[in-house]
Amino acid sequence: MLYRISPLVAYTVFFRGAFGSWYAISETLKRTIPLLLVGSGLALAFRAQVLNIGAEGQILFGAVAATWVALFLSPPAGVTLLVMFLLGFLAGAGWALIPAFLKTRFAVNEVLSSLMLNYVAFNVVLYLIAGPWKGKSVRGFTYTDTFPESAWLGTLGMTKVPYFTLFSGIVVAILGYYFLKKTAWGFELRIVGNSPDTARLLGISEERVIFLTMMLSGGLAGFAGVGEVAGIHHLLRHPSHISLGYGYTAIIVAWLARANPLATLLTAFLLGALISGGDALRVSLGIPFQVVSVFNGLILFFLIATERFGHYRVSVRRKVKG
Amino acid sequence: MKRSVFIFGVVFWVLFVLSGVVFAQGLKLKAGFIYVGPIGDLGWSHAHEKARQILEETYPWLDTLYVEAVPEGEVEGVIDRLINQEKVDIVVTTSFGFMDGTFNAAQKYPDKIFFHCSGFKRAPNMATFMADFHQIYYLNGLMAGALTKSGKIGYVGTFPIPELKRHINAFTLGVRRVNPRAEVHVRWLQTAWYDPQGAKEASEALISEGIDVLAFTEDSATVVQVAGEKGLPSFGHYSPMLSFAPQTLVSGQLVHWEAIYLDFFAKVYAGLYNNTNLEKVDYWWLLGDGAVELGADFGVPINPAFEEALKGYVVDDPVYGKISVYDLVLTVEKAMADPEYAFSPFAGPIKDRKGVVRVPQGVRLPLQDLITMEWAVEGVSGPWPGEPE
Repeated sequence: MLYRISPLVAYTVFFRGAFGSWYAISETLKRTIPLLLVGSGLALAFRAQVLNIGAEGQILFGAVAATWVALFLSPPAGVTLLVMFLLGFLAGAGWALIPAFLKTRFAVNEVLSSLMLNYVAFNVVLYLIAGPWKGKSVRGFTYTDTFPESAWLGTLGMTKVPYFTLFSGIVVAILGYYFLKKTAWGFELRIVGNSPDTARLLGISEERVIFLTMMLSGGLAGFAGVGEVAGIHHLLRHPSHISLGYGYTAIIVAWLARANPLATLLTAFLLGALISGGDALRVSLGIPFQVVSVFNGLILFFLIATERFGHYRVSVRRKVKG
Repeated sequence: MKRSVFIFGVVFWVLFVLSGVVFAQGLKLKAGFIYVGPIGDLGWSHAHEKARQILEETYPWLDTLYVEAVPEGEVEGVIDRLINQEKVDIVVTTSFGFMDGTFNAAQKYPDKIFFHCSGFKRAPNMATFMADFHQIYYLNGLMAGALTKSGKIGYVGTFPIPELKRHINAFTLGVRRVNPRAEVHVRWLQTAWYDPQGAKEASEALISEGIDVLAFTEDSATVVQVAGEKGLPSFGHYSPMLSFAPQTLVSGQLVHWEAIYLDFFAKVYAGLYNNTNLEKVDYWWLLGDGAVELGADFGVPINPAFEEALKGYVVDDPVYGKISVYDLVLTVEKAMADPEYAFSPFAGPIKDRKGVVRVPQGVRLPLQDLITMEWAVEGVSGPWPGEPE
């Protein structure tokens, strides 16, 4: 309305842009994949009350490890992608171990330490692309060289949706759920999250749970980072263009899913659609990107603000007459 | 008889007008512009957006729209939306990082036309363009050399890429022509094209080292403002920045992307350029083409506040003899814009700062050497990543 656009038109464009055609859905899925991988990992961590806010940096570290494998380690073409995902997972997990170590050893609040490490990771990428890893074929711009094609992920048809990471994301969300509900470690994790005192009474090692959830959530973020560079960019570029804030958005994904990995299937798709529909608003209606961010922010705000009501049940009571 | 002539006349005119409408609609073009930055900056994306507006106003047969702040990896998705949803015929992408995405889209949509700024990949339906500032930097260098008292000029650069190296070299060659002992001290930000905080810190650090004139490449007016607060002369970049420091902004480099856009779109409309013959279309437009301008503001090549100082600084020039820097700037500007003479700042002999002859006597650097330049001329001081041994 501010831009003389009827809300009805805006919502139409928004939904059409997120679901209205094959490329709209592919744009939504493209955003869903990293949100799903990172979000389901964070759901596990949040369930144990381990607040890993450092997924953004863990994504970047996965991307860095993948780039190193693709450009410098150069394993045999057949296993390149396998090594990339393996090392990417380990790099993300390793980066997440720092706040886990600080928390268990020195009782440092993991929210702060993991958040701060995001800025470190951001600058590590900047340093690499401007310094030692700067490409020979990029005319002095700050990018690495393009990966060899053996390090590219296959995509669905003409879209930019890598099917391997899409599939992995779905599997991870389902496995995460079973891990949480059916395994002994999953049980320990829930106890620590629900009641640390009970956990102590039962002799459950809180330390182990912290390390486990940090490594899993960090590793999955690293895995998602590999997916971004191997599936979409095919090189390492400015960190703000690699991750688009997925590490932060995934916090909301996990939170809206009430730390249930299975529910992230829905919430990741929802937030993917939110980003994708927002893009359509910018393209078709020429709405400034800041306004689109505010619009998306408001939708989220209302989602979160009304989330509490989901806990209540509507019931009608009659006064008991005495 | 008369009646049938009248009916014939009416039918003729109705058909004529109708066909005119149909014909005109058939020839209407739609173009989408994709920017990497927000249009509210004062640099690159802002300048492209201004040019788009002029283009849209000038050609009644052209509709345009734009998308700002597009992350580099997202460009293909945005192109999909522009072509499928908005039915554009021509896509203009304005960042080096959009090159591969634009190139892929050009393969995917062979009947659409793509116009990419600052890259080197072309296709039958994808042309490239660039408006280069090296001549303007040379002119600004002449003025900077005349205005420095300490003999130290500061330069804040974003990324050490050939484009900036070429510009700083041209600037330094200008400085040295009127002030052979002066030095240009360079600071690189290496963070982002738009980094006001970094630019502020870098300018203040340079000032504390004793520089007394500032020039820069960064997409905000920060350096001009910092220089203005300290009362030091500075040179604007990309957009008119006179209003940010009316007393201390000497001049600067201004761009007219519309010069290139107007030319390209007219040729597409006329059918000269189509989706089969753009493989060799590469605009590299300069002063003589009207794509760039010297000035503190459009139409203000030199801030009148500096007229006296520049007229009072007289040098013994090897070409023009005794001449004030004010006149020298205007004379050289004319010589560079003149297609017959086309003076180049990169005419030999030129040595790099390590003593290697980079441009021999009697040679003018060709385009290929200009766009891949990595070395630093004598007079450049400070780090220079990628400097050849």
